[in-house]
Amino acid sequence: MLRIWLFMFDTFYIAWRYVSFNKIKTATLVACVTLISFLPLSLQLLLEESERQLMSRAVSTPLVVGAKGSSLDLVMNTLYFDDEVPELITVAASNSVMDSDLALPIPVYARFQARGNPIVGTTLDYFDFRGLRIAQGRQLAVLGDCVLGAKVADSLDLEPGDSLVSSPETLFDLAGVYPLKMKVVGVLEKSHTSDDLAVFVDLKTAWVIQGLGHGHEDVTKLRDPTLVLKRTEKNVAATAKLYHHTEITEKNIDSFHFHGDLAQYPITAVIALPHDDKSGTILRGRYLSREETQQIVRPEDVIDGLLQNIFRIKNVLDAVISVVALATILAIILVFALSLRLRQREIQTIFKLGCRRATIARLLAAEISIIVVMSGVFCGAMVFLVNQFSNDLVRMLFIR
Amino acid sequence: MQMKSFISVNKRLPFFCFTLVTIAGLLFFSSTRAGESEKLTIYVVNYPLQYFAERIAGEHAAVVFPAPADVDPAYWMPGPKKISDYQRADLILLNGANYAKWVNKVSLPRFRMVNTSAAFKDRYIEAAEILTHSHGGEGEHAHEALAFTTWVDFSLAAEQAKAIEKALSRKKPALKDTFQRNYEELERQLHKLDRDIKKVVSKDRSRPLVVSHPVYDYFARRYELNIKSVHWEPDEIPTTEQMLKLHSILKDHPAKWMIWEGESIKESVERLKAIGMQSVVFDPCGNEPDQGDFMSVMRQNVENIKEAFR
Repeated sequence: MLRIWLFMFDTFYIAWRYVSFNKIKTATLVACVTLISFLPLSLQLLLEESERQLMSRAVSTPLVVGAKGSSLDLVMNTLYFDDEVPELITVAASNSVMDSDLALPIPVYARFQARGNPIVGTTLDYFDFRGLRIAQGRQLAVLGDCVLGAKVADSLDLEPGDSLVSSPETLFDLAGVYPLKMKVVGVLEKSHTSDDLAVFVDLKTAWVIQGLGHGHEDVTKLRDPTLVLKRTEKNVAATAKLYHHTEITEKNIDSFHFHGDLAQYPITAVIALPHDDKSGTILRGRYLSREETQQIVRPEDVIDGLLQNIFRIKNVLDAVISVVALATILAIILVFALSLRLRQREIQTIFKLGCRRATIARLLAAEISIIVVMSGVFCGAMVFLVNQFSNDLVRMLFIR
Repeated sequence: MQMKSFISVNKRLPFFCFTLVTIAGLLFFSSTRAGESEKLTIYVVNYPLQYFAERIAGEHAAVVFPAPADVDPAYWMPGPKKISDYQRADLILLNGANYAKWVNKVSLPRFRMVNTSAAFKDRYIEAAEILTHSHGGEGEHAHEALAFTTWVDFSLAAEQAKAIEKALSRKKPALKDTFQRNYEELERQLHKLDRDIKKVVSKDRSRPLVVSHPVYDYFARRYELNIKSVHWEPDEIPTTEQMLKLHSILKDHPAKWMIWEGESIKESVERLKAIGMQSVVFDPCGNEPDQGDFMSVMRQNVENIKEAFR
């Protein structure tokens, strides 16, 4: 046994000396084998992680009500706060779900952004539903408050007490909505979901950002005639010159108000939490009519469909990678074969020194093994890194 | 010796196990009982809702109305601490009709909010006296224009109480019968108040009256009263401008009685007497009274209003 070990050791020692002498050739071969192994493995890991993330969020969201149209856009915006904003519906849709007594509604208005991060207008029930807890500061309380996801707070280096200004929707609407300076009141615990990347505000604050709610001095007491368009016994109409507050403070919050019927105010979706399966089925049935302008979807079904498409693409990618891998392997074989030809004199020398053909074969096999093992180690390390950061990579590459 | 001790341990073991199981069972059932008997925490936005909730829920709820006693709850703005308390409540009872202006400026859990006047929101009254504003030629006006003292129409008060009973029964289905019973008792009393007022005012519904504040819209509609409103505070002497406004109202509306929302100061009463008007108090009771409760205040109001219809 000891003799066999010593023999193996000698073989690998000579192979190692050869491999380390021909550094460039070895590095090239190791890189090729590493890449060919790493690509399909990492792709599999990332796809599994994306499936896990997409499905877990989708499964935990029973039903989503939105405008008729792309169900994928609706689900992606509601669950992952995607930039594609679906067609808007109104709060009346949420009230309708509430009045049906079949489900509890959580309205969501994910339309605006603050320094590249989505602003999600919703109600406090959203936090209970998603199990989101405050890590620093406090929960939303008054108009103008915002609570940051963990990653937003890190990336923008913000903490409770700081301010965050909403971004204008378009730079071309100079006379349009002014950005709102929001007060950061809390930071959420990490949830490893899209919620980490969002800025949460009350639904009414989102409407203030849009300009549907605002604060200004008392119009009925204005004396500047350029600020008053028309004055009657019951109403005073103000002109566009009237300055609207761009920040909500303790001093001016009393002046903030909304015009018209709040039930007609816009939202992007309603997350519906049915009381039980039967209620959910009945609720879904109510949206089947052709005249209905809204749709109700099960995010699990939508994401499942998306993943089917992704895996079809994955199959194509796998096929491509297989062909590339085959070509690479053939190239590696060619390299070894050419290498053998070039080493003809060297092999003859070893043979004349007394090595049998089997020993020479073992030497070559040892060289190949060392290259394969080195590739395996590098591949393993890279796969390990991908695994560690798969959550963030998936979010960066596939979800947002 | 070892065998003896083994046998004695062996004999005690069943008893020991039995004791453990009994204690565990008692602990389990007591925790279950504690869950069932755990009081609901209910936060409200005005005193009438507090009163109704306390009457209906009884010992099964702790009803909290945190507005200071010297503040009009309709215009009160709670601080972050109080808002946080509201957020943690099991139920938040709102009056509706845009009563508590602060509700539109804070974040509250929608699932636990109950608009007690939702059942009759189609019967909200737009307050004629309030000057609204809008933006641009065709903008909608802001909703400061709704009258919100819905409970002074006792039939609407009963509907609000019903909404509270329903909300409580949803939260604690096991106590539904208790809540129902308590609600029916309260409803009987509210309907009696309703009948009493109708009987009093039926003598002369068209009698012109002036009210010190525009908080009697629902009262006037229900009991078909002929009222006009001024903006006088019970604790302030009316200014010359206010007196002139009253005179201009009296030209077409020759009222002999002013209905105050609280005890007015002597000077105001004297000024009204000088122009042939008497004063009577009908306290809407939006905040907690110094003495008595909602029912006793309303009964006193009924007695007071009899003076104006003698």
